[in-house]
Amino acid sequence: MKHDDTNTMRLRVTGLDKRFGSYRALTNISFAVGSGEIMGLIGPNGAGKTTLLECLTGLCSVQAGTVRWDDRPLGPDERNRVLWYQPDNILPYARQRVATTLSFFRRIHGAGKDDLADLVKRLELTPVLRQPLLNLSKGYRRRVLLAMALLSRQPLLLLDEPFDGFDLRQALSVMALLRRHVTRRAMILSIHQLSEAEKICDRFLLLDQGRLLGAGTLEALCRQAGLAAGSTLEEVFLALT
Amino acid sequence: MPLPEEPSRQGIIRNLLAQELRSLLVSPALWLMLGIVSVLVGYSFIQAVALYSQASRTALSFPELARGMNPLDGIFVPTFGAYYLSESLLLPFVAIRLVGLDKESGALKLLLQLPISPLTLCAVKIGAMGLLWLLTLLPGALALLFWHNLGGHISLPGISLLFAGHALFSLTVVAIGMFAAAISDSLPTAAMLSLAVTLGSWVLDFAAGSQDGIMAIVSKVSLTAMLRQFESGLLSFSHVAAFLCIALFFFLLTALWLHPGRSLLSRTGSSLLLLVILGSLLAGAMQSHRALDLTENRRHSLNPADSRALGQLQHTLTITIHLNPEDSRLQDMEHDILAKLRRTIPHLVVRYARSESAGLFAAAGDSQYGLIEYEYNGRHDESYSNSPREILPIIYNLAGIKVVQVPVPRYRGYPLVADATGCRWWFYGLIPLLCLAFGIYGLQGRW
Repeated sequence: MKHDDTNTMRLRVTGLDKRFGSYRALTNISFAVGSGEIMGLIGPNGAGKTTLLECLTGLCSVQAGTVRWDDRPLGPDERNRVLWYQPDNILPYARQRVATTLSFFRRIHGAGKDDLADLVKRLELTPVLRQPLLNLSKGYRRRVLLAMALLSRQPLLLLDEPFDGFDLRQALSVMALLRRHVTRRAMILSIHQLSEAEKICDRFLLLDQGRLLGAGTLEALCRQAGLAAGSTLEEVFLALT
Repeated sequence: MPLPEEPSRQGIIRNLLAQELRSLLVSPALWLMLGIVSVLVGYSFIQAVALYSQASRTALSFPELARGMNPLDGIFVPTFGAYYLSESLLLPFVAIRLVGLDKESGALKLLLQLPISPLTLCAVKIGAMGLLWLLTLLPGALALLFWHNLGGHISLPGISLLFAGHALFSLTVVAIGMFAAAISDSLPTAAMLSLAVTLGSWVLDFAAGSQDGIMAIVSKVSLTAMLRQFESGLLSFSHVAAFLCIALFFFLLTALWLHPGRSLLSRTGSSLLLLVILGSLLAGAMQSHRALDLTENRRHSLNPADSRALGQLQHTLTITIHLNPEDSRLQDMEHDILAKLRRTIPHLVVRYARSESAGLFAAAGDSQYGLIEYEYNGRHDESYSNSPREILPIIYNLAGIKVVQVPVPRYRGYPLVADATGCRWWFYGLIPLLCLAFGIYGLQGRW
């Protein structure tokens, strides 16, 4: 588990501003993420979580702010070398068999066949490999999308709502898988279910109406909210928003 | 910790191309288009052969009539006319899926993160579409084969030009479809935008063709009018360049608007810059009159002696025509002689002195109406004739030159009485059934 040790941080975001016309979607967002760390991006609906992920990836233009990797500026065109973003609610190549789609993503990421076989096994995708993604249940679709994301090899992985659609057992299993993968990279997970975020994330970014209300470990957020140590993330969330 | 080694760019492009091909092959729109093309091409071919045979029966007895029997005009232009329909009305539906489906499914957000530029991504998509477009040529190729087996004559340069025209037309339609999808929120909106361009081009062609001023200029670069040049057997460099400019414009616009990571202002500015650059290129290309007559009967060419003599005129020849654009005499003159003179005479100025009163009866109040004036090196002549037989001697007289026409082999024509109805099983049965089978196969995600 990583902490707020500024020396180990690899991604540094400073003063990120995003406006849609007169609407300020993100205001002066600054934070840092270190290697081997899972950062939870939490906040109510409309807080700007997805916008922040898309701005980080370069899929959304920003009005101000810098993104640095290992203390070097990272322009929007270079982000794909460092981060991979798996959006929520996507259904790529839906009419194609799952095996074909996963194989395509394995090849374009340069991942090995063993990596894919391991993911298929751990995410229990074998029964649906010959099915088109379109025909799968929500849970299976989520697992396929997660497999696609975990085939990427960038050192920072951004996942939008990775646990949405999973039951408790599946969510725990996926958390174990993510924890296994984070040893080699860092992750930013946008999660609206706070109980799940608390279980897996090392640190948190609390967003509300495009503003960063707090950043740090659960203990640090408790202190910031004036709550006793051992309070839950839900209590912190309610106190700060 | 060093960044992981990126997979090779070539490898990504190769895999992406294979993926785009799979995406198109699982699309019912492609197989539906191919099935409809087969029926349309088959119907056009069988009808064309029937009409050609009817005309050939008389022509076989009269050699003069036989000279008018040209398979390119009689068989292949109508047969490939079916492609014009499918390229205008069906191809946009397939083309918009190249981008629109990826946008709708969210795949585009993944593809745009790959270490390739949006330009490369669009090029791969067009490449995949191009490969599958070749598949749609199958019914046309079959028609050629059947015509050959029936004993028909095939002019390779003419057919190649026709093929090139449809390839350029399709490329432009695909680029427009991709751009429409890039700027639209949904596939139906993109389809409407694409059809507005292809159908608008068709409307513009017949509605504005007889207009003057800006409408006449616009109608010249309508996609339909440009394709017709290729159908006529004339390889016009300006039309090839115009098609390429329009296709490149929409292709670059697609790449520009595909990536949402650039600000609206930046994209608008770049689009305007592209419009200025490619608009200037297009305007420049349309000024060129360089062309190659690929017809067997040399219908777009003057006698070689005339071409040589006219090409050596040192001074500017000014022709002032007192005819309105809707007048059929002007249209005949444009086609029979003016177009040839423009391609031959280095310094030619054609002026159109419009009558004040427009319309069918414009001539009634204008004593000069119908007059054609010629000026060369300070000398002047005039005539009411729009025939090359009278116009060329006037020009030679003004230039003070004598031209003796050289004998050229006469085109003998290729009349043929044949029955192509036996081919209908292929066009109406086998190919549509194969398309249905492949479509069902694709719907099961098996590609």
